[in-house]
Amino acid sequence: MPINALILLMMLVLISAAFYVGRSRALRTADRESVSLHSLPNYHGYFVALWTGVPALLLMAAMAMFGPSLTGNVIELRLNQAAAPLIEDFDSRQSEDSLILSAQRTLEASADVNAATQARAALQNRRTAIAENIAASARENGASSLTLAGFEYANLPPERRGLFMNDARALAFNGQPSEITPAIEATASAFRPVDRFVRYGGAALAVLLAMAGLAWSRSRVKAGFRARNRVEAAFMGFLMVCSGIAILTTIGIVASLLFESLRFFEAINWRLDQFLFGTQWSPQTAIRADQVGQTGAFGAVPLFAGTFMITIIAILVAGPIGLFAAIYLSEYAGKRTRKIVKPVMEILAGIPTVVYGFFALLTVGPAIRAAAEFVGFESAVTQSALSAGLVMGVMIIPFVSSLSDDVINAVPQTLRDGAYAMGATKSETVKQVILPAALPGIVGAFLLAISRAVGETMIVVMAAGQGANLTANPLESVTTITVQIVMLLTGDQEFDSAKTLSAFALGLVLFIFTLALNVIALRVVQKYREKYD
Amino acid sequence: MINRTDIQAAVEARLAKRYRAEGRFRLFGILAILAAISVLLLLIGSIASQSIPAFRVNELTLPITLEAARVDPAGDGSAASLRRGSYNSLLQEALRAEFPEIEDRDQLRELFGLYTPLNSARLQNHVLDHPELVGQTIDFTFPISDDADLYLQGRTTASSEAAPGLVATPSSTTGEVRIFANSNVFSPIVSDIRARLTTQAEELEDRAERYVARATNSASDEARIGLTREAEQARIRAASLRGLAEPGGLSVNMSPELPSSLIRMNGGIIDITRITDSGRTAEGRVLVALDNTDTGDDWTIWTLDVPQAERRITDAQIAWAETLRERGRVEVGFNTYLFTNADSREPELAGVLGAVIGSALTMLVTMFLAVPIGVATAVYLEEFAPKNRLTGFIEVNINNLAAVPSIVFGLLGLAVFISLFGLPRSAPLVGGMVLALMTLPTVIISSRAALKAVPPSIREAALGVGASRLQTVVHHVLPLAAPGILTGSIIGLAQAMGETAPLLMIGMVAFVADAPSLSIGGLTEPATVMPVQIYLWSDGAERAFEPRTAAAILVLLALMIMFNAVAVFLRRRFERRW
Repeated sequence: MPINALILLMMLVLISAAFYVGRSRALRTADRESVSLHSLPNYHGYFVALWTGVPALLLMAAMAMFGPSLTGNVIELRLNQAAAPLIEDFDSRQSEDSLILSAQRTLEASADVNAATQARAALQNRRTAIAENIAASARENGASSLTLAGFEYANLPPERRGLFMNDARALAFNGQPSEITPAIEATASAFRPVDRFVRYGGAALAVLLAMAGLAWSRSRVKAGFRARNRVEAAFMGFLMVCSGIAILTTIGIVASLLFESLRFFEAINWRLDQFLFGTQWSPQTAIRADQVGQTGAFGAVPLFAGTFMITIIAILVAGPIGLFAAIYLSEYAGKRTRKIVKPVMEILAGIPTVVYGFFALLTVGPAIRAAAEFVGFESAVTQSALSAGLVMGVMIIPFVSSLSDDVINAVPQTLRDGAYAMGATKSETVKQVILPAALPGIVGAFLLAISRAVGETMIVVMAAGQGANLTANPLESVTTITVQIVMLLTGDQEFDSAKTLSAFALGLVLFIFTLALNVIALRVVQKYREKYD
Repeated sequence: MINRTDIQAAVEARLAKRYRAEGRFRLFGILAILAAISVLLLLIGSIASQSIPAFRVNELTLPITLEAARVDPAGDGSAASLRRGSYNSLLQEALRAEFPEIEDRDQLRELFGLYTPLNSARLQNHVLDHPELVGQTIDFTFPISDDADLYLQGRTTASSEAAPGLVATPSSTTGEVRIFANSNVFSPIVSDIRARLTTQAEELEDRAERYVARATNSASDEARIGLTREAEQARIRAASLRGLAEPGGLSVNMSPELPSSLIRMNGGIIDITRITDSGRTAEGRVLVALDNTDTGDDWTIWTLDVPQAERRITDAQIAWAETLRERGRVEVGFNTYLFTNADSREPELAGVLGAVIGSALTMLVTMFLAVPIGVATAVYLEEFAPKNRLTGFIEVNINNLAAVPSIVFGLLGLAVFISLFGLPRSAPLVGGMVLALMTLPTVIISSRAALKAVPPSIREAALGVGASRLQTVVHHVLPLAAPGILTGSIIGLAQAMGETAPLLMIGMVAFVADAPSLSIGGLTEPATVMPVQIYLWSDGAERAFEPRTAAAILVLLALMIMFNAVAVFLRRRFERRW
């Protein structure tokens, strides 16, 4: 770190120096040649500073990102190199060893599971024995510790290699390794010089690049040089790159979801129908063949049903309340009431969802359970679809009300005046003129609110429970798409299992669904706006 | 031929109905608003009231002799030696000195359950900071265990004390004792227990009957077997309760499933285990030693309504905590641990500091990414972009991104930042990046609105005096739009600060006992943020985490209100209408 901080500081000094160099050179040139500059002297300064800073900083960023993996690759190469004679020896002895050959033959020939397991175990034992033998004789012959470490590393199963490297890295850089063995120590001591080389080399390269940029751009500074256009073009490039990030984000979302989902579909043998229409969800895959309750079933219908039920409950709460509030605020309330009530209602949208979750879990859930038990439902639970749905409904009230408010306000006053002139009361005007006119917008508002509810996570994670029940009883606990994504991806996870990958498939479903809702909603709202504008 | 008056009458009759409908409609509107606001009030009120116990804490102050031999085993006063001292045993001895009568090892373990051994680390740090204290006796203050704290705050059980005013004699001052009274003073306890047992048994029998009824109605065999088994179990429990309630004579054994009765007498406390002899004699064990075995009528029966089996603190611990309070060893004060500590497994030592720092680091990353990129995008789209397919596509993109569920951004972060780029999990850096992507659309949309609000005359004037397009924007348009941009950005950041779901995806749910350092290096250390801390605590097994969760929510809400207040202030102060 300190070297990076030092270089960064140096860069700042260089860049500001470059600015003054460019500026003063421009001024001097103008003086000497007694002509006026094309661009203001500051632009010359910016030009030189840009050429000094940007390439060097880009290089530093690249080094920061790829430096560690570069070091890791170098170390792996050196380990392999150091241990090459031993590995060769190992391979040759393996190919000559009668025990191993016979075990391999059995493994290839026998269809019997037990025999295969036995052969595999024998193979493994024999290999370990040979490896130990080689390592011991190498140690006696005074092989370097790096050679031994390389040999040990080569013999590790692939999944342990990453751990070995991490331990060595941690040991080398004041981290906390999970274990310390001589091999790890040797690797760690090999790490330090390489890392130093990469780091210092990168820093030196960055400084050199900055210097070169400074020298080159300084030579460009002349009275007629169009520095401003260059600087503005660079700035414009920056603006364009920034607007590209929005596209990049979308591409990133779609690509990562699609890519991981495809891997998931591959893992379930492309039985997409089972995923979308299967009614059993139990993503725990069995590790042993005889394990109970871990079938690895990926039927997402219970999740869709749970999401659907909670969304329906939420919209039943938020729809009427939000719509009536919007009507009252836009048609009946005075300016002052509106000014106070509107922001207060909007607070509901600003409260973090985790707070709603806590409220649902500790206040609404127990209340609903008590009420249900009072009425006679014995099996009522605290984490129910009803409590999650009610609280989520409260959360999306402001979405419905403020969007509906906007569309109601957008209905031209002439329509109202016409209705009043016919002798209609206010409520009749609202019901028969304003609402029909605003209907597409209101539908859009509801769609947006639904998309919010579908994608909402924390309330359901905390208050809806986790059991993948396929039920129509709102007093039971259900699970939703978002809950399952959280459950599948928190805690220990191996990135390649179908269980983890299924979260991305669920994410893809969620993304497509909300995107479709939004596109439809925006279309509806836009179309309607055009009608009156 | 229709009569004119008939029409008028009909209209008037209808008019009344129409007005009533009008009134109803209006009422619905008012009710809707009232409903929304009252839920808001209920939400805030319930959380505020739940948080009350978290702001107060009962602290134990004990004199602790820092014997050189125990604190400084090597004897050289070096930090390494001081670190090896046995501090927990010092705390144990100090507590034991308060109750010298306790000999039994189980009881001692119960006594030491009054504080968490994590406090010894605090004592150690204190000694490390002040090595000159070795050999002296200091008053060390530390929080009492969360369960004792809840009890002392009156949140565990209702308790009542009654003075029978009759003469009784204890048989000894420590150990197992009998208390003899001249009359049957203890018989109310006995009958109360009998009544309770009988009601419980009746409830269980009722339930068993209902299970049987449901079993006969149920469709599947599986459900029927399950229900029948449950009914059977309820019946067995009911029978055992009835058995307890009907023993011969007027004697009864106390069990942990029943409300506890204790006796305070001659300066000590006795836990009743059995009442015999038609309510004239109580047997029990001494929890706090009696001063003497004098006969007297100045004693009380102390009833704890919640049975021991239903609370996490035992009768003995309650008696000791109460005694320590009476001796002035326990004092209630403002809970500073909540604000100066990071997370802990022990609620009494858990605080939000680590999460606040994590939030600050995450928000810094978010701010430094989302605001410049967002403003740059807005400037480009609003001021420079040609109207073509590509920019149209970007606009559609931004609008859609604004409505993508936040958890999807978490998936993006997991797949791209962590798996692909290999950035560390649980780090504020990654959290900040994910939140920045999520906040970006908000910043862009509000910045564009602010830029749009700057009238074209400003631009035309600047261009007219020879400014380049970029100079026009940077020197004139942006400064005028700055308040609007800032307001929008702050609101976006406040939203990001309350976001939880995407951070769960990138592993910021780890238990982090040390507050991350507030520096560049802290960006890649494991950390957690306020909303995630709230989520973690709401899941906590200890009941004392509940008020702490509510308190953490209040802290988060206060931070968010602060952010929004700044935004409102900026808008009021600098907003310009053209």
